[in-house]
Amino acid sequence: MSLQKARIQVFDEALGKDVIDLEYLRELAFQGIPDANGLRPLVWRILLLYLPLEKNLWKSTLQQKRQHYRNYIEEIIVSPGGPSDHPLNVSPDSSWSAYFKDNEVLLQIDKDVRRLCPDISFFQLATEFPCPEIAYSNGVKRLHRRVQQSVLRFSTLERRGLGVAKLSNEIRRKDTHAGDYAPLREGREAHWEVVERMLFLYAKLNPGQGYVQGMNEIIGPIYHTFACDPNIEYRRYAEADCFFCFTNLMAEIRDFYIRTLDESSSGINNVMVKLSECLKKNDPMIWNLLEVQELRPQYYSFRWLTLLLSQEFSLPDLERIWDTLFADAKRFDFLICICCAMMYLIRHEILHGDFASNVKLLQNFPPMDVSLILNKALDISKKQNRVNFTVCTLDPTRPCLVGCTRTGATHSRRVAGNSATS
Amino acid sequence: MAKKTYDLLFKLLLIGDSGVGKTCILFRFSDNHFTTTFISTIGIDFKIKTVELRGKKIKLQIWDTAGQERFHTITTSYYRGAMGIMLVYDITNEKTFDDIVKWLRNIDEHANEDVEKMILGNKCDMEEKRVVSKERGEAIAREHSIRFMETSAKANINIDRAFSELAEAILDKTSGREADADHARIAVERRPSRAPPTRACCT
Repeated sequence: MSLQKARIQVFDEALGKDVIDLEYLRELAFQGIPDANGLRPLVWRILLLYLPLEKNLWKSTLQQKRQHYRNYIEEIIVSPGGPSDHPLNVSPDSSWSAYFKDNEVLLQIDKDVRRLCPDISFFQLATEFPCPEIAYSNGVKRLHRRVQQSVLRFSTLERRGLGVAKLSNEIRRKDTHAGDYAPLREGREAHWEVVERMLFLYAKLNPGQGYVQGMNEIIGPIYHTFACDPNIEYRRYAEADCFFCFTNLMAEIRDFYIRTLDESSSGINNVMVKLSECLKKNDPMIWNLLEVQELRPQYYSFRWLTLLLSQEFSLPDLERIWDTLFADAKRFDFLICICCAMMYLIRHEILHGDFASNVKLLQNFPPMDVSLILNKALDISKKQNRVNFTVCTLDPTRPCLVGCTRTGATHSRRVAGNSATS
Repeated sequence: MAKKTYDLLFKLLLIGDSGVGKTCILFRFSDNHFTTTFISTIGIDFKIKTVELRGKKIKLQIWDTAGQERFHTITTSYYRGAMGIMLVYDITNEKTFDDIVKWLRNIDEHANEDVEKMILGNKCDMEEKRVVSKERGEAIAREHSIRFMETSAKANINIDRAFSELAEAILDKTSGREADADHARIAVERRPSRAPPTRACCT
């Protein structure tokens, strides 16, 4: 049996239980989820606590959640009930003013979803499962319609003597800059339109947070993974399932996105400080050099951490990294170890670079075998925790050697070796 | 450590609303290339280009910032060290122009008092979608005694010129400081009193 097949089997067995052992599944996923049989999207649904551990609840949970999502679309987008007062009402709780505020959010989302993962064509392609109420609405229910820029046509009426008038200066304006992320024809929807809808619903349902740039980079890879599921039944509901998984994930990292929490313990500044401390401990030489060069962590790590590295790696590599991140029970401590490992692995270049070349290098992380990074991150993590931080091997039949509380699994210190090739 | 291959180092900053084309302007200037396939800037980005002005090699260190409100606390920390700031709006988007005032206030609050500023009305190749006239751009620039130019990263209009004018203005100040106080004052005053550049763009 090939290694890949063996891994698939181990996952199948873990998922075959009536009640899934989350801790065990985390250990498995930490080493990477095989890119086969729709395992990744399914396991992500469990790791992100969307699917319950009791499998007999899956059907009803999915039904219920997907119905909720349909209701959101209906209530918020399809028939929200028009504003009840007039557009010039200056009262802050005027329904028109709310409508205009929504459009500001939508405008920002619209700009960002049209520049999501431009290196792959996926988001510009049509989804197999458009939302019929929106796709067949003569365009009027399409969100981007609400914020589409249009220029009024005008012409000047010239009077030339009695009864002679001439229209002139007519300026013809047409939309010539739709670009690649153009909306599709009636009845079809592009994947970026689906992402736009999810982000708008999220902003509406989480008004305290709204939409912040970068959220598109978090939801994009999840949606891509779900929408490419080989299982058509899961693929059909990729949008609804992705919406809730994204919501759950954001619940854990949303403080990174809130400006007023920047200085709080869960805010982004503190996470950047943690990374800096981790680097100081594990590679004082680079840490020191960057200090001397006054190369501040926020120049590079703000983006790394806020986006969970989604702009630093290609999609397949990122999916592999997210397997590990989502499997990290102490989310997202391991993220810091990964970032630290990334820096360690280019330490030679950093040590020979000046300020400018080092900023460039860190902002454009060179392509690298992801398993190398994850292995190094695991080393760092073990040192950091000063405990036996271990990962199960593939063989669940042999006894545990390193004191894991879970019975029936061997542990090894290897990580990622098998999955990076999958 | 790399050998110093330049005479002067100028730190520049690009600010403005999200989607006005800051990253595209910088990419056109640094790599002489245009692409619409840019991801949104999160936090801050960075490019370097060396130019030659009056026989001096000047290394421009240019910081590209994220436009959205959320990133302001991160990005305003860069204002202090900046010697030149480019404020960019999009001539096809009214709000980005209205917000220029807000960005100017940000500069007043966070940047050095003598920072050189320049307003750029970008996307001037998209005449059929224009909503902000060139006159309005010139007017706001005049009101604040700031240089102004309309640019297009896509059609490569005025991009190099914008950067060299800004760099030259900084150079004037720098050499002014080296000379005696009187000269410095003249050097500083000479440029702002000059009418904004009027070379035709996008006509």
